[in-house]
Amino acid sequence: MLEAKNVYLSYDDNKYIIKKGNFTIKPKEFIFIGGNSGSGKSTLLKSFYGEIPLKHGSLKIDGLEVFGIKGKKLRVLRKDIGVIFQDYKLVNEYTIEENIMIPLKINGYSSEISKDQANKLLSHVKLSHRAGYYPNELSGGEQQRVAVARALAHNPKIIIADEPTGNLDDYSAEVIWNLLKGANEQLGITIVVVTHRVPKNLGIKFRQLSLEDGMIYEVS
Amino acid sequence: MKFLKNILAFLIPLCAMLLTFTLYLLINNVVENYKNKISRDYSIVIVTNNPLIKENIDELADIKVQRIQTLPKEKIIDDIKSNLSSTSIELLKKKLPYFYQIYLEVFPTTSELETIKETLLENKNVRSVEVFYKNHNQTYLLLVLLSSISFILFFIITIFAIIIIAKQIKLWFHEHSTRIAILRLHGASVLYSGSAVLNYAILSSFLAFLIVGILLYYISNNMGILFPIELHEIIDVEINLKYELFKLFILSFAISIFTILGVLLKYKINDE
Repeated sequence: MLEAKNVYLSYDDNKYIIKKGNFTIKPKEFIFIGGNSGSGKSTLLKSFYGEIPLKHGSLKIDGLEVFGIKGKKLRVLRKDIGVIFQDYKLVNEYTIEENIMIPLKINGYSSEISKDQANKLLSHVKLSHRAGYYPNELSGGEQQRVAVARALAHNPKIIIADEPTGNLDDYSAEVIWNLLKGANEQLGITIVVVTHRVPKNLGIKFRQLSLEDGMIYEVS
Repeated sequence: MKFLKNILAFLIPLCAMLLTFTLYLLINNVVENYKNKISRDYSIVIVTNNPLIKENIDELADIKVQRIQTLPKEKIIDDIKSNLSSTSIELLKKKLPYFYQIYLEVFPTTSELETIKETLLENKNVRSVEVFYKNHNQTYLLLVLLSSISFILFFIITIFAIIIIAKQIKLWFHEHSTRIAILRLHGASVLYSGSAVLNYAILSSFLAFLIVGILLYYISNNMGILFPIELHEIIDVEINLKYELFKLFILSFAISIFTILGVLLKYKINDE
């Protein structure tokens, strides 16, 4: 599903944030990427969807090379990935239903199909009663549930989440973990989560990677 | 109201540009009408030893030759044949040179007509050249000057309008940057993610066309506002409203679309 070979990442040429990154993520795996603040967890995650270009090495997602990716290929890569952010990244001018429709419309689905799928997902994240609401009318937990629904909308092979529960209380965080767990178990979606707080009693088999001094280690 | 406020910075320069274009169209129309009116007030007749081929005279004094009309010799012979025998007539037919009238694509000025005459006389095949004209020089040149000035004005305002429109489009992109970034993260193209900005531009263009179009319609029905009544007696100042409105429509949308595509291209290059 995801294969990194000798990956180097940096914002400038002087200091590498990630060095010699070598790891593999198999399909349907649930992966946590941990590490201290500033260790480069989010940078690594951003490289998965082409937000940060690779300096050296090779990173393949579902067979598509991310190194040097741009233009149409970058759009193809992003269309196949579901993304969840700590700050939700919902479009405030759109209703939550319209927010969920975003990846569907970008992937070329008709408005009717997109709306239908968005309503199913709203029901899945238990927000059907708020379909016409705007993001700023919802709580943080509810907004993140919308973000999860949006990430699931186009049935991606992989979901990448950057500190998805970082801004949430324990109850809302548990709801999000359960949604991600369900996506992995029931839909077979590969989940890659960056977090500095791995949930206890997730009740699912997962693997953990850790970042330290720019190096990526497997946590046993 | 909020929408109007939002598009005002786009609408004003576009309207200014369309208004100067309208002005240019009206003046140019007057010049064209005047040119057509005086187009029959000149004549270039040449006499040649051998038949003339149009391809040999494509241009005279940098003016394209529209056509060369052969003047029949029979008319000359008819006028004098009563006093001549049939043998003399046959001989005359052979000996008579060839007569042609030259029509140009553009109405020539006095000096251009003189240059044309000199150029033609340089040709060894040409025996003589007769040029007749009524002197419309001053009025015509003044109108051409007015047309040129209005075009220069339109050109300058267009440049400024494009700069202001481009700035406004960039501002819209900045206002919608969060939405655009989110859509881009999900794999949307620059065009798709900037569709809100594109909609603004299209609506503004339509509104600008509507405002200036209504103004042009009003002016076309009240030409006295722009041109004094006395002028109407000399020159036909009527315009083909449908055709001019079509030009305005194309220009309004073309400028907006090209400017927005330019900004999008820059945005795409920076993004990659």
